[in-house]
Formats: sequence, C-alpha cells, structure tokens
Amino acid sequence: MTESVILSMQGMEISFPGVKALDRVDFTLRSGEVHALLGENGAGKSTLIKCLTGVHRMDAGRIMFDGSEISPSSPQEAMKMGISTVYQEINLCPNLTVAENIFIGRQPMKRSQIDWKEMNRRASELMERFNIHIDVTRPLDIFSTAVQQIVSIARAVDIQAKVLILDEPTSSLDENEVDRLFRVMEGLKKEGLGIIFITHFLDQVFRIADRITVLRNGQLVGTFEAGGITKLDLVTRMIGKDMDAIYNLKRPDVAKDAGKMLEADRIGITGGTVGDISLHVKEGELLGFAGLLGSGRTETAQMLFGVTRAGKGSIRKQGKTIRVRHPIDAIGQKIAFCPEDRKRDGIIGDLSVRENIMLVTQGRRGLFRPMSRQEQVQLAEKYVKLLGIMTPDIEKKVGELSGGNQQKVILARWMATDPDVLILDEPTRGIDVGAKAEIQRLMIELCGKGVSVLFISSELDEIIRCANRILIMRDGEKAAEVPGGSTTQHEILSIIAGEGVQGGVA
Amino acid sequence: MMRKRMKLDTERITKSKLFWAIVAELLILLVCLIIRPDFFSISYQPSSGMLYGSLIDILNRSSEITIIAMGMMLVIATAGTDLSVGSLVAVSGALALRLMRWDLDLYPTPGDWSITPLYLVIAASLGACLLMGSFNGLLVSRWNMQPIIATLILMVAGRGIAQVITGGKQMTTMFSPFKFIAHGSFLYLPMPVIITAAVILVIYLSTRRTAFGLFIESVGVNRSASRVSGLNARRIIMTVYMISGFLAGISGLIYSSRIISNDSNNAGQGYEMDAILAVVIGGGNMAGGKFNIAGTVMGSLIIRTIITFVYYFGVAAEAIMVFKAMIIAVVIILQSEPIRRMLEKRSRMRRSIQGGALHE
Amino acid sequence: MSKPARTRNTLLNRLMNPKFIMVYATIVVFLLIYTIGALLYGDKGFTTLRTFLNLFIDNAYVGISAVGMTMVIITGGIDLSVGAVASLTGMFIAYGNTILGIDPFICIAFSILIGVALGLAMGAMIQYLKVPAFIATLTGMFFARGVCALISRESIAINHAAFNELAKWRIKIPDVKPLAYVNFNVLLFIVMILIGAYMLQATRFGRNVYAIGGNEQSASLMGLPVNRTKVLVYGFNGLCSVLAGVAYALYVKSGWNLSLQGAELDVISSAVIGGTLLTGGVGYMFGTLFGVLLKSVIPALITFNGTLLSWWAKIGTGVLLLLFIGIQRIVVSASARKKL
Repeated sequence: MTESVILSMQGMEISFPGVKALDRVDFTLRSGEVHALLGENGAGKSTLIKCLTGVHRMDAGRIMFDGSEISPSSPQEAMKMGISTVYQEINLCPNLTVAENIFIGRQPMKRSQIDWKEMNRRASELMERFNIHIDVTRPLDIFSTAVQQIVSIARAVDIQAKVLILDEPTSSLDENEVDRLFRVMEGLKKEGLGIIFITHFLDQVFRIADRITVLRNGQLVGTFEAGGITKLDLVTRMIGKDMDAIYNLKRPDVAKDAGKMLEADRIGITGGTVGDISLHVKEGELLGFAGLLGSGRTETAQMLFGVTRAGKGSIRKQGKTIRVRHPIDAIGQKIAFCPEDRKRDGIIGDLSVRENIMLVTQGRRGLFRPMSRQEQVQLAEKYVKLLGIMTPDIEKKVGELSGGNQQKVILARWMATDPDVLILDEPTRGIDVGAKAEIQRLMIELCGKGVSVLFISSELDEIIRCANRILIMRDGEKAAEVPGGSTTQHEILSIIAGEGVQGGVA
Repeated sequence: MMRKRMKLDTERITKSKLFWAIVAELLILLVCLIIRPDFFSISYQPSSGMLYGSLIDILNRSSEITIIAMGMMLVIATAGTDLSVGSLVAVSGALALRLMRWDLDLYPTPGDWSITPLYLVIAASLGACLLMGSFNGLLVSRWNMQPIIATLILMVAGRGIAQVITGGKQMTTMFSPFKFIAHGSFLYLPMPVIITAAVILVIYLSTRRTAFGLFIESVGVNRSASRVSGLNARRIIMTVYMISGFLAGISGLIYSSRIISNDSNNAGQGYEMDAILAVVIGGGNMAGGKFNIAGTVMGSLIIRTIITFVYYFGVAAEAIMVFKAMIIAVVIILQSEPIRRMLEKRSRMRRSIQGGALHE
Repeated sequence: MSKPARTRNTLLNRLMNPKFIMVYATIVVFLLIYTIGALLYGDKGFTTLRTFLNLFIDNAYVGISAVGMTMVIITGGIDLSVGAVASLTGMFIAYGNTILGIDPFICIAFSILIGVALGLAMGAMIQYLKVPAFIATLTGMFFARGVCALISRESIAINHAAFNELAKWRIKIPDVKPLAYVNFNVLLFIVMILIGAYMLQATRFGRNVYAIGGNEQSASLMGLPVNRTKVLVYGFNGLCSVLAGVAYALYVKSGWNLSLQGAELDVISSAVIGGTLLTGGVGYMFGTLFGVLLKSVIPALITFNGTLLSWWAKIGTGVLLLLFIGIQRIVVSASARKKL
C-alpha cells in the first residue's frame, strides 16, 4: 500500500438556507486505501461528496487532487479528472446491455464502427475480474440490484478513475452480495485506487476500511485508523453528546390492560416474496420493525395499509376483521401510513404545504364537502406550528422544503386525520439530526395519547431506543420478536444475519 | 380564492402565466384597435335579437375550442393528453345528422324536420362521446397506457367511425331547433357563447367548489402518493377522460349546427392541438398539476383573436398558421422555465441595485 | 443469481434476445394478415410480387419519415411537424420549379436546408428551453403549414423533364408476371432504413440515442452529450421529413399546401406498430420497416375486397394500434417481473 495522498480537501464550508451543512471539514484520501466516511443522516457526508463531484459549489475550502487544485463544476467534469462516483440509486440505462452500460460513450471502434465483439469481450473480462459470470449482452434491467451496482462500479473503474466514491452501495445487498462487492473493492485497492466508502453498517466498515472519518452536524469529529478505535467509541463519536435528548427519550408506557389495536394473522402476498406474517400492536404501543431493505418490512406495512393487497391471511382491528384492499379502506379504519419513499409515495411536490396537509382529511370528507379556505388555513397553520415545520408560508410548494420538513408535512397530513394506528416506514431517513429527534419524540407523544405506532427503520439504535417491542424480518418472513430496551444492537444484527452471532468488533 | 390578500403582490402576479396570457391578448387587441378603430364596435340587430361585432365574433367562434379546452385542461392536469377530441367532434356531428336524416334515400331533401326528436339526437351524440371518453379513460387508468398513445387510437379510428355512421355521406339539415344551437341567441348573445359560459361555470363549480380540482391536481403531480393518501386515482383519471369526451361531443354539436351539416373529414380537424395550446398558454403544465380555468379560456381567446385579426384585416388568410405559430412560439418561449428563471434573476438584480442606490 | 457465462454467442442466441419480441410480433402479425389476404384474394392477385412491391411504392414516403420518427421516439420525444415539413418540401419544389423556374434539385437542396434548420430549432427549443416536445413540434407544424399556404393555396403540378424522369425511373424485376418493379422512392426508403439502422447500431451517436431514451438523467451523469444528441436527432428527423416530401412529390408529381394532412399520425403509428416504445429507449429500424408494411397492408386488403369502404382502414389501424400497445404492455410487464 502506498502512502501517497491522492486527494485532500481542506476547510470545506457550505451553507444552505438555514443550515451550515459543512463547517471547516478536512479530509484526505491516500491511493490504495479504503476510507470510510461515517456519520448519521444529515451529518454532511453526501454534502461533502457533492462538493467534491461538483454538484454543489462550496463556499470556502480547497480541493487538491493528484497534485493540483481542482474545482469541478459537474459530475462529468469530476469523472473526466478521475473521480468517479457510484450512487446508491443506480445511474445506468436499464434498456441497454450490461456491456453497453459499461462502455457507452467510449465504445471500442473498428473502422469507425462500434466493435460490438470487442466491447462484449472486454465487458465480459471486466465482469469476470469482479467474479461476476453473466451474459453481458443482456439488458441491464433483468439483473438484480447487486449486479447493477457492480456494473456501475465496473464502469466507474474502467474510466481510469483514481478515486472511487461508493455512496451507500451496500444498503440493498444481501450478505453474499456484500462479500462479492468487498472482494471487488479489495482488488481495486491493490491496484492503487483510493476508495471513499459511505455506509451505515459499522460491521462492514471494520471489515474493509483502512481509515475512518466521522462527521457530525456538518463538522469533522476526527479521522481514525480502523484498527485504533472500537465500535462503541465510533458510535459515541457519531452520535455525540448533543444527542442526549434522544437517549433521554422514554419509551411509551403501555397500559397493562391495553387491548390489541391491530392484528395481522398470517398475511402475505399471493405469489410474492412476503408470506405468513403475524403481528399485533397494542393500544399506545410502539412496535419497531427491523430488518434489511427487501426483508419484507415495507411490504408488510404496505399490506396493512392496502397499498399492496394481502392475498392471504386476515387483518383485525380492535378485534373486528377488516378488509383492506386499497388505502381508502385503511384510512376508513383510522390507519395512517407514512411511506418509505417520500418523493414517490409521500409528498405531492407541486402542491402547497396547506394542500398537502389537508389532502387526506379532505379525501375522508369526500368530494362534495370541500373544506372552506378558512378551515384549510387553520388546519395547516395548526400543524405547521405543532410540528415546527420550517416554511416561510403555508402556500410554499412542499417540493421546495427540506427533507425533514417534508417528512413533517406528511406526518401532519396523517395526524390531522386523528388516526388510531400510525405506520411509519423509515420516517427518519435522510433528514437532519434535529428533525429526526423531533419525529421520534412525536411518535412517543402520540403513543401516550393511545395511538399505536408501527415504526420501521434501518437504524437499529433508533428502534432500540423507542420501541416497546421489536419485530425482526428476514427474507420476507418474521424472524423473531424481541422486547425493546433490553435487546442490544448486536443481538438484533445476528438475528438479521440469520446465522448466529456475526463477527462484530465492539 | 376566498382569502383576502390586501397587499397587492405584484411579484406573484407578474410570475403567473395567466398574467402574461392576458397581456398577450390585450396586445393583439390593441394592435387591432390601432389599425382599425371600429374593431371594438358592437351593434344590435333587432331582426335576430343578437349583438354583432368582432369581439362578439371572437367569443362566438372560440366556443368549440374553449369547450374542448375545458376538458383538455383537466386531462392535462392529471398529466395526460387527449388527442381524440377532434375525431370525437366528427363522431358527434355525424351521429346527430344521421339521427335527424336517417336515410338519404328515404328522405332525400333537407328540410325543417327531423326523424328523431332533438333531445334524443343530443343525448345520443353526447352519450356516444361519453362512451368513447370512457374508452380512453379505461386505457389510461386501468391499463396504464401512455395517454398520448391511448387516445391516438380513437384519434385515428374516430374519423373512420364517423364515416361508418354516415356511410361516408355528407348530410345537411334545416331542422330549426338544431340550427338554434349555433345560430340562435339568448340574452342578446349567440347561443354558442351562452353554452360555453355554462360549460365554464359548470367546470368551475365542479372543480373549485368541490374537492375535485384538488384531487385532479394531486393525482397529476404524484399519482402514487395520491393513492397512498386515499384518493381513488383510477376513478379520477377515468372521470376526466369522460368529461373530455363529453365536452368534445358538445363542441361537435355546435360545430355541426354551425355548418348545418356533418363533415367527417374536416369537423374538429386540429382541435386537439388548439385545445392543448390553449391550456398550455393558460398556464397548464403538460407534466400535470395546477390548472387554471381563466387562463385556459384566455388561451383559447388568444388563438381565436389571432385568426379573427388575420381575417378582419385582410392579411392574407394564408398567413394565419404562420402568425399562430409565431405568436404561440413567443408565448411558449416566454413562459418556458429557463427564460422565466433568467427574467426573474434580472428583475431581482435590478431591484437590489435600485435598493442599494436608495440607501446611498 | 449469477448464471454461468454463455460463451457461445451464436446467431441463434442473438436472435432469441427478448428485446426483439416486439419486432417479431410485428412480423408475425404482418405475415398473418398477408396470409389472410392471400387466402381471401389470392385469385385476384393479392399474392403477386407486384402487389407486395406496391406496398412499398405507395408508402415509401411514410417509411422515409418513419426512419427519423423512430429515432425521435427512441429518445422519448415526438415530432408532429413531419407531415407539414414534407408538404412544405412539395410546395418548394412545385412553386420553385413551375412558377419561378428554378431547377427542382436546387429546390430540394433548399428544402433540406430549411427542414434541417427547423428540426434543429425545434430540438433546441425542446432541450434548452424545456418546452414539451409535443408543443414545440406542434408550433413547428403550424409554422410549416402556414408557410405552405403563404406560398400558394393552389395545387401546383410539377413538370420538369429530369424530375419526371426520376419519377418514372424504375427497375423491372425480370421474369415475373404481372410486371413488378421498384422505383426511386422504394430505393430511397430502403437506403434510409439502412442508414438509420447503421446509425443506431454502429455509431456512438446512435447508442447515445438509446441511452437518452432509457434514462436521460443517467445518460447525462454518465457523461454523454445529451443536449447535442437530442438536438441533432430532431435535425435528422427534419432531413427525413424533407426526403419524405421529395418522395411524395415524385409520387404525386405536384405540390399542394393541404397535402399530407395527418401524415404525422401515419408515421407515428407505423413506428409504434413496429415496436418502438413511446416511452423511449426501445425501437428498431427493422421493426419500423415492418410497421410501415403492416400498416399499409390493411388498406391494400380493403382495396382488394372492393365492397368495404375505405374508412374501415382507419378503424383497422386503430384496432392494430390497440393490439400492439396491448402486446407491448404484456411484454414490458412480463420482463419487469422476470428478474435474474
């Protein structure tokens, strides 16, 4: 491993309206190392990357790359310099073949024609190198996310990159796929590439990273050698002292005689990947849902709310069997649902805050009993104040608010319907720490008012902090149910992994 | 709507597309007035009990497009397009004439009579168009087809259907109740103007005085999220295509009454394009979302004013299309996102410069 | 998940690629309808080579325009101006030659200049000003039609020796009865299909077209020249429209401002029936070729029937469109379900 610094960022600063997203952050990357970038959501990881790749313009700071100062103005420009990024969402063309996706824009040519044979051969070779044996002449969209992820890495690497940025590449991969990806990374490391690795999974960090940089609230906490820090130490540094508020959260009290609010009995999707889920949640109880992406958490929530129809099993609310075939049915039963994909299923971006908040309430009242303008404004203003939604005006388009505020608007939309059951699918993903704490506090408050909350999250510590009980999903099935509080992250992780205790460091 | 905003928000006004549409319309009218000062004159003709004049004519002749544009506006608000409306105009007229004349061999001469009572003629024509609208709606909402292609089917097949209905013949009628639809008058105004006003009013009441308008916009901006929020997106989409078909039927009746005949080849030719333009000029976004009734009416008036302008001033009638293209291009370009952003930035800069000067 | 690499990339293997399903569907339906025609009207001469080649001769102008349209649709766009631009070309040739006495081939060169410029302008409006393609090209259509009408509202015959020679020029197919031949238009059509196919398959430009249609944002993030490519596609389509106009002028030997009304629909339908997805990203020139044939075999059938009236052709096209979009939906949803 060489010790030469390939990339260094000094005194990076950037502000967005109301937030200092990066505050004098320094970061260096050596060739031939995997450097993990850690921090909670909103800590500034992606902002830092976006400054590096020219998506954002920094307010201050300088970037030295390969011996000279650079300031790329677009991801393409950064790519041309040798800084390639692979995003969590796949940025490839689904209709093209694997080989084309790797080589498009720089296909091998023969007699001024694309040399398909050569291209396919080289693509095959490249994929072989990554230990992926697939037919590279097939269109990309028939392959799994993991393969697509590796195709993007192959593309990024083949462009003679010197720095490779992997932005949460593992969040939708299973264990085997992660192993495969790590082998690829090891190989690239040996070839002298500098890799910036952003992830949420600490175990993975200790498996692959050489150094670790921790960010918190836009500030640099420190850079550590991976061997010189314990996992516990790392977590403490990531969360920081100002997160006392979260540690002081008191789990909801569930009355001894609390009845079952919502029960699901062996529900599943016909012909689908999720089956036989049974669960119940009591009045005023906070039920946590843990498991990897794709483990069936979201599908279960969607079945309970009628977004996808449960072909099997039955759902009972307060003892009575109910039919949930469409969200309308669920709403009629006073069930509420904040979906995982905020952009796709949550906000109506071009409508105002007021319209977004009133939408479900109006939907319940029906077409012919429109709320008066005054009622709408009252409702919207009430919740803007109650939830502390930061917006200059209730007529502002929701799409123009920050992620955390958008999430609060969706929450407001559902709270306005006075629900009995609130299902929250990853409500804290991608929002800043403050908003996150507020949303957790709100959930617990709602439980105190007798609302039953189903809380899905990828962040285990969050679930452990808030939930009365935790339901753990694996491969479309319920793997276990453990009490909140007394269970450690480690125990849950080992259940998720499904093979006893996994090699963690701590 | 109801909320009083005492502070005149000039910025919001100049940003709105409706504002620019009105400015454009006024500019064209101003040019008309300068060239010919009697352009605005309106006279009363006691024999027909109607007002006459270029302005009345613009209102009268814009009816067909305005009515169709009302439906198109709702369809576009759901992020759709309805290309079939022009063909539906032909179907509506064909069916009406067929029902009134039934068989040219049996009743060879046109006269002031009809085989079928007028209410049945109207009900059948509108019913047929409603049905065809439902077909479009079905394809888009159930089969999740792309609206352009789904409605292309009836756009292509519709004129064929119209010709099948009439056996390819062109029929004429002198049936006076039917003629009344386009040639009659009420409250001194031509009937088409009255019908259009009624349609606009009904659309306004049913979208803005119920939650329907909000639901349409919500589905148009984000169908998936609307569904999760408990809206029946499919039914809403279905409904707007049905409305669009139904309104095309009304427009078809006015058109065929105007020419007291059917014309399967030319009736409604290009109406879908004019209607889409009217909506876009009026501030509608082809990607779905907010719709603006007043803006759409304005858009339709602009299109008709251009045509009237050209006819009235004896500018070669051939130039209509070129004029239309150029004015529309200017309006569209001025309204386009990048240009608007640029203009906004400049005005903000100017304001800050002025502000700075004041402080010194 | 990972299948063993299929090292033998035989021709058969390549042809079995699921991405060609739509093209196959088109070919199968074409053969089906052709067979029906052969069974019903074989005795009237439906199966002769002449009838078959007439499909090409009568629809060459649609096909030429469909080459450009296919490319536009693959990028996820649409162009409504093609009929008007083709009509304008006819006007340029007819008016330029018959009234002004300019050599028709100079008129054609001029038309190409105007057509490509208009295409580029519309492309720029779409790409840089973010005007929806539908609206931008609609404006282009109004403009071209308007200029047509400004030039003349009469139908003008073209009477130029060399031009007529070209129109009459044909290659006879030897030893066939009844006499069968291909003319210049058919050759132009075939050449344009080949050029289009070459561009799409063998050049980076063509692959960028597919990438843009697949996911424009990704294409841009991958560093492809998205803006330039899209504008050029509309320019190329302008060229195709002009050539279609030339072919039509050779076919009818006149120019008229109202000719080719609604031809854009024929062109778009041909491309769609040929398997080009209006959502972009998928489409083949070979499919478009069969789309044109399939769309034109229906009127041919109706002509042979003799009792059916011509407007059934329109209804038939509508039914075909419905059928093909139905097939596309099934194919797309089936391939979405089947992940490796």
